[in-house]
Amino acid sequence: MLRDIIFVTLLIIIALALSYLTYLGGLGDLPPQDIRLIARSYLNLTYNQGVNWLWAASPEAVTAIVWDYRGLDTLFETVVFYGAILAALTVFRGVSKLPDRIVSVGLSVVVKRTMAIVTLAILTVAASTALHGHLTPGGGFQGGAIASVAPLLLIVVFGKQLFVEKKVSYNKLLTLRNASLGLLSLSTVALLIYGLATNEIGYIFQNQAKALSTLSYPSHMLDVPLGGTLFFLNVFEFLAVTSGFTLVFTLLLSSEEVILKEFEGEEYGY
Amino acid sequence: MDIELVKFMFILTVMSLYLNFAITLYGVVAKVNLVKKLIALTILQDTVNVFTVLIGYRLWRPGLILQPPALTDMNPTPEIIKDFVERSVDPLPQAFVLTAIVIGLAVTLFLTTIVLHVNYHFKTVNVDEIGGMKRRYIHEEAV
Amino acid sequence: MMDYVDLVFLMMGITAVISVSFTFLAVKTKDLMHAVIFSSVQSIAYALVYFLLMAPDIVLVYVAVSVGIYPLILILVVKRVGRFEVTA
Repeated sequence: MLRDIIFVTLLIIIALALSYLTYLGGLGDLPPQDIRLIARSYLNLTYNQGVNWLWAASPEAVTAIVWDYRGLDTLFETVVFYGAILAALTVFRGVSKLPDRIVSVGLSVVVKRTMAIVTLAILTVAASTALHGHLTPGGGFQGGAIASVAPLLLIVVFGKQLFVEKKVSYNKLLTLRNASLGLLSLSTVALLIYGLATNEIGYIFQNQAKALSTLSYPSHMLDVPLGGTLFFLNVFEFLAVTSGFTLVFTLLLSSEEVILKEFEGEEYGY
Repeated sequence: MDIELVKFMFILTVMSLYLNFAITLYGVVAKVNLVKKLIALTILQDTVNVFTVLIGYRLWRPGLILQPPALTDMNPTPEIIKDFVERSVDPLPQAFVLTAIVIGLAVTLFLTTIVLHVNYHFKTVNVDEIGGMKRRYIHEEAV
Repeated sequence: MMDYVDLVFLMMGITAVISVSFTFLAVKTKDLMHAVIFSSVQSIAYALVYFLLMAPDIVLVYVAVSVGIYPLILILVVKRVGRFEVTA
């Protein structure tokens, strides 16, 4: 009990200290009077055809920042994401190779039919969110997060053998994930490689034409803004996030005995 | 628009976030169950994310209607862009939080696998008991 | 008189206070299944705050992650490790 009292006192002190700092004006005016200067320039440039050597060709400022102005940040965050999924897969490295012998019948037929319809709806919403990421709120991360709800529900409702029957194997998902991440990194350097091949100036993470470089991804397709590289990066990120999460879910939802067998480990250590 | 009410409610939101922060920090530090720690950690992440977005908000002025940072006009004139800059909220914190949430999910999935491992090896997720067991093992090996 | 802006801020403040109470319940309860449910109710409150803060991008990803995926994964873990938190 003494431990609890000490912790509670400490945390009350933390909350009071934060409140006092806010009261002294640590956050400035609340609500803030205006947005920052850098945000103003992003908002001004993102779809400004008058300054087309600095624009991102996307009416959606958040996607433009995520994949163009701060693209390198997002690329490295994708690397962190890749690493976290990889770490989870490494902990379960043996589970994927063991066949799952337990066959579950799943839930009742009413739930199964409803789930089939709902899955279609979820995947449609996810694909629409990802493909229109440069026009409306949405993008690769959002679409991937929405789409990865579907396999989780499918495994719970139909049982794990559904993925085995439909031939969605571990290796296929892993290949899909690696391929989409490879394509993602390729599309960031595509213009640089093209520039080297044709002896023109190109940059890493180049989207639209710059002052010194005339190379550019298409900014419009059939009169609709395409956002250049934003569209491709959104699609590849969508595939990478969906397949990565699906991989971890299939392993986490394996039957008890398969996981226990893996956790027992080998003769020497774990 | 009642400026007193607006300010009071905004500061109330900030204070609630501080309280959430303190409560979940207590959960992460003082609770002995690892799953409870995990739940508190997810709420802690979300609190920090909400706080980051809240910093990018701006004051409503009379006659000014705020909007999300997305243009709705596909062929904007300079006037429309100027109006958009005046009305939109800050997109930069939103872009950061967006990636932070998905990566937080990936890290949490990794932590769940670790919790399952711990549960298999020690048959419990109580950190006090796990500490006691480890102490006993070391003592036995030393003797 | 109340107008549109007042209503937005009123909703924001009330939602934030509701989220505090659910966080408190989620940390306090001994039943882990209840803690998962309380934390997802709290996530709904945060999703509303995000929406009122003009961040539709984040609402899209946040609802899917913390109302869809987190509870399912945590319920799975709770099923494996035992439902009740035992204090020594």
